[in-house]
Amino acid sequence: MSRAGLPLLFAALCVVSLTVGVNRLSLAQLASFSDAAWLTLTASRLPRLAALVLTGVGLAVCGVILQHVVRNRFVEPATTGGLEAAKLGILISLSVSPAGGAAVRMALALAFCLVASLVYVAIIARLRLRNTILVPVIGLMYGSVLGALAEFYAYGRNMLQSMQGWLLGDFSKIVQGNYEIVWLILPVVGAAYLFAHRFTVLGMGSDMATSLGISYRAMVTLGLLLVSTTVAATVVAVGAIPFVGLVVPNVVALRQGDNLARTLPSVALGGASLVLACDILGRLLIYPFEVPIGLTMGGIGGLLFLLLIVRSGR
Amino acid sequence: MSGRAGLLAFWTGLAAMAAAFLLFDSGLDFNYIIPRRLAKLAAMVIGGIAVGLSSIVFQTLAGNRVLTPAVMGYEAVYLLLQSLLVLMLGTSSLVLLGDYGNFLVSILLMLAYSLAVHRWLFSDRQADIGYPLLIGLVLTLIIGTFTQFVQLRISPGEFAIFQGFALVSFDRVEWGRILWSGGLVAAVCVAGRPSLPVLDVLALGRDQAVSLGVDHHRHVRFLLALVAVLVAVSTSLIGPTAFMGIFVANLAYACARSGRHRLTLPLGCAIAVGMFLAAQLAVEHVFNYRTTVGILINLVCGAWFLALTLRFRDIA
Repeated sequence: MSRAGLPLLFAALCVVSLTVGVNRLSLAQLASFSDAAWLTLTASRLPRLAALVLTGVGLAVCGVILQHVVRNRFVEPATTGGLEAAKLGILISLSVSPAGGAAVRMALALAFCLVASLVYVAIIARLRLRNTILVPVIGLMYGSVLGALAEFYAYGRNMLQSMQGWLLGDFSKIVQGNYEIVWLILPVVGAAYLFAHRFTVLGMGSDMATSLGISYRAMVTLGLLLVSTTVAATVVAVGAIPFVGLVVPNVVALRQGDNLARTLPSVALGGASLVLACDILGRLLIYPFEVPIGLTMGGIGGLLFLLLIVRSGR
Repeated sequence: MSGRAGLLAFWTGLAAMAAAFLLFDSGLDFNYIIPRRLAKLAAMVIGGIAVGLSSIVFQTLAGNRVLTPAVMGYEAVYLLLQSLLVLMLGTSSLVLLGDYGNFLVSILLMLAYSLAVHRWLFSDRQADIGYPLLIGLVLTLIIGTFTQFVQLRISPGEFAIFQGFALVSFDRVEWGRILWSGGLVAAVCVAGRPSLPVLDVLALGRDQAVSLGVDHHRHVRFLLALVAVLVAVSTSLIGPTAFMGIFVANLAYACARSGRHRLTLPLGCAIAVGMFLAAQLAVEHVFNYRTTVGILINLVCGAWFLALTLRFRDIA
């Protein structure tokens, strides 16, 4: 794609996302200042667009940071147990303080995700046989063990069914007033830009990073903290969305290489565009109903992931 | 000698568990409780045999000790088919096709999937042991997503029926199913019996097997077909078992201290039955139904599988 192609695609997707929906909204209506049209726009469509773009950007950047920290192309929150840990955190916050609101859920999801990611990175560091394929395999296993723990916990408290429902990524519930926690992603992305050079160096390994004057442990912890904040915020606000962080950075790296400071804009825009496209597809597939983005992304992202694996095996 | 004593202890323990399961707290009620428990026990035995046989044979064919049919997406395909059937034909699919029709369709699909996997698994490249594993895990995820998508489209009542398929449970077994499932497993055993020595040769790897005069391609196909039938039986009878097969197979190799299938196959089946029994006993008497067999097995086997992959060099 040419340098102007991606921003253009992104802008087009934004416009489509604003106009698609059960409540018809045409640009003509907006121009004539119809109250109903403006209400739909400000209360539902704009918050949804903001949430979509922020999660897309956040998850893609997250994936890239994780890939540099773990030094493996195939890791992202869904393949390192981070998503499952955040779900477990929310589950526990719901049963411990049901009236706690988004802040409590966010805090627990963040804490669980951070601890799980730190444990994962420690496990990978101790691995005797490090190979590209094994690292995500262990992450998937680790995630499924955390998932089984969550099931065990939920089943005993009769929360299994609701857990399956609301932890699947879904933007249809996003309206003004219940999505604002997603804005936490903005400072995270800002920090990622700020430290982009350091994360690039981190990707060269601990010895190289240390000899270039970077505190390896501090940087790894910071990276995982950024990742956990993003994952927790998205899971609390919209639910789990897999594979964004995996597919987008890989495709970008194939075209532009691994210098984070240069590729971050493309990664961010690519993530937002992919999430937007999957959301629009989900809204049209069984119109007027919606397919949750957790499913459309799981299908499309999963197939792309499979292609990447098969390609790497050749 | 100690190995023999250990085996003896193992079999006695298994028998004791079965007896405990049948009789504990039953009040010797031969009219209802004990026949019900006998049905569950029969399902465990048949399911255990199917899981044990299919996992070990599949591992031998794949030459990889961390693969099982379940991990390679067989069970996910089965669940996708069931949800599609419910979507297209409604609840009447259960009546229309009957147990046999449904089962026949399932087996045909599993055979087709097996052939597809076969091409992938046994392509020339066998260098990286983790590669088919990663593909299998991702495939399972993707097929699971499609199943969920189909579930979105079916009505809540039909969804409740489908849910019954998707969890490991012995509570819904009935004698009719048990009988024909048992019959199929027995038929597979009889059909596969002559291949027992061939399996030991196949375990040496493709090139060795061919140079020892085994028609590799034909045998692998035949055995994979048997595996597909076994997986269809176990999934339809007791539900998806996920990582259990890996646990069972590796424990069997460790206990038998030998790779001979004459030893490992029966041992694997017994271990699987024992696991089902232990999990069911724990659910009934320790957790008081606050958890399910499937969740317990997933938890234990998942954790163990994780530990196994961490020590990968030892098994590769």
